[in-house]
Amino acid sequence: MNAKLQAQLQTQIMKLDSISTAPAILKPLLDMLRRPSEDIKVEKVVELVSCDGAIAAQCLRLANSPLFGRRETETVRSAIMALGLERVRSMLLGLCMNRVIPQDKWVIEPDAFWRHSLGCALVTQRMAQKMEYPEPEKAYLAGLLHDLGFLVNSVLYNLEFRKCLRRASEEHTPLHVVEEQVLGFTHCETGQMLCEHWGLSKEMKESAGCHHDVRLLASAGPLACLVHLSDLLCRMRYLGYGYEEIMGVDLGEDAAWQILIGAYPALNQMDMARFTLDIEGAMDQIVATVDSVFGAKTIAVPATS
Amino acid sequence: MAIEIARAKPAASTDSNADDPAFLKIRDLIYGTSGIYHSAEKLYLLISRCARRMLALGAASPAEYLEHLTPRGNRTAELRLLLNEITIGETYMFRHPAQLDALRNVILPQILQLKNFVGLKRLRFWCAGCSTGEEPHTLAMFLLEEKEKMLGGWTWDILATDLNDNSLQTARDGIYGEYALRNTSAIMRRKYFKDVGDKKLQVNDLLKSQVHFDRLNLSDDSKMVLQKGLDVIFCCNVLIYFDLASKRRVVQHFYSNLLPGGYLFLGHAESLFQVDESFRLVHFPGTTAYWKPTAATAGEGKRK
Repeated sequence: MNAKLQAQLQTQIMKLDSISTAPAILKPLLDMLRRPSEDIKVEKVVELVSCDGAIAAQCLRLANSPLFGRRETETVRSAIMALGLERVRSMLLGLCMNRVIPQDKWVIEPDAFWRHSLGCALVTQRMAQKMEYPEPEKAYLAGLLHDLGFLVNSVLYNLEFRKCLRRASEEHTPLHVVEEQVLGFTHCETGQMLCEHWGLSKEMKESAGCHHDVRLLASAGPLACLVHLSDLLCRMRYLGYGYEEIMGVDLGEDAAWQILIGAYPALNQMDMARFTLDIEGAMDQIVATVDSVFGAKTIAVPATS
Repeated sequence: MAIEIARAKPAASTDSNADDPAFLKIRDLIYGTSGIYHSAEKLYLLISRCARRMLALGAASPAEYLEHLTPRGNRTAELRLLLNEITIGETYMFRHPAQLDALRNVILPQILQLKNFVGLKRLRFWCAGCSTGEEPHTLAMFLLEEKEKMLGGWTWDILATDLNDNSLQTARDGIYGEYALRNTSAIMRRKYFKDVGDKKLQVNDLLKSQVHFDRLNLSDDSKMVLQKGLDVIFCCNVLIYFDLASKRRVVQHFYSNLLPGGYLFLGHAESLFQVDESFRLVHFPGTTAYWKPTAATAGEGKRK
């Protein structure tokens, strides 16, 4: 991408705030994300979530979903306790993202987008645990946010992005390859810019920016590598962008795997075939969760306490 | 140990006989001849299979049955009958559509390209542990359907082997009921089967001519080394019966049997982790397979 295009994109992303109706809680939430988790008070989060009825309802649904053990949660506070503060931070941002895109601007089906994002979050986190990465919750967030660029492309380049998706699904090829040909940039680049604009951490920017090719960076960090592998695994498990890609993937030969295996020897003990089978079970839960949390058209506003 | 297992699975065992040391001897005998190993948790399976043979022979105790398996008895014949009981499997056609998609979309185009390069337009497939023939017949239908498309001008042969004589006989007869045909479309049924009454269909002559069935023991090294020049091997849910050492030996044979660039499909829940390091695990939409690298692509990055 040349400098002119980059400057143009940056100006466009500034406009995103006025075009889309980002939920009011997005700003304080982003501030909260920048702080270490031990500085965050549960009361503050409860207050934030309770401000927005729709988000509070989705939070409750999520806490009650099979993915989190289907608890009988009735209040925002108990939902937050059930999900865990760290998870709630990630989820809230995800729920906000859902509303950054106006209804008529969705290019990738919202369900498919959410299945892929949540799937990737879960796989990234599980793989992080397997390789003994110290912050698996951070890995979850990186997985959840890696496709932020879809939001940018959907809102700002709607028609062109639709064309990309149509062509990619007709040719069964990866979306980012078509984006490069049609738009001259990919959702990786716009995602990275949105992360920057929202003031997210360097690791989040990196994961969004190079999750399709970790070789773009001189030294990609573990999160970017993990997200790259999880994204591939999800797409190989029918949790892609809503169409079937024709490809065979040798993860062991992937640059990201090579980087990780050097830094995290525990990965040598990971049975990839078994892991794939295990996440397959989790994928069913993700589909159920997405259907129960994001699939419902009308959202009842619960009494908060 | 055997007692605990018998208690845990009373329906499948012969209860009072379960702690008999004769079963351990039979287990070792089965392992020695076929590589199939019944661990403590799986011993109840062996006991229930022996029970069927004991009933057929009128053997009163495991020790008496063991006599039939010694050189004094009719060892070779009885061992074969017992192995038939042990290796019974039930499956159906078009059970793994994701495997066929991977073949159609990625694997065959790759192999055809390689072979086109050397001007050899012949493919070889092997279903190792084909049970009652559902898998090789599915593969044959799939290939026939591709004959007018990507396989125009190509020929192929499908070898299907199993240890179990009864299964092989069923496979050769090619008569299938509704369970085996549950995933077979009406079009496929019309094209490749004929109605033989009693709600059963039999493979027609065209489909029958596509598969060569043979008895083969995967632990028989002298026979295994003879399988050469294979492009794709299917060995689904067979190695689960093998212990690590036998599994390793069979997989090493498969690696030699395959041409460079060939693929091995295992069952859905099977893995070669810590069994073999020569094959490379490749993910396809909805399935995985093991790839034997070609000299030219060894060390290359991700393939698409």
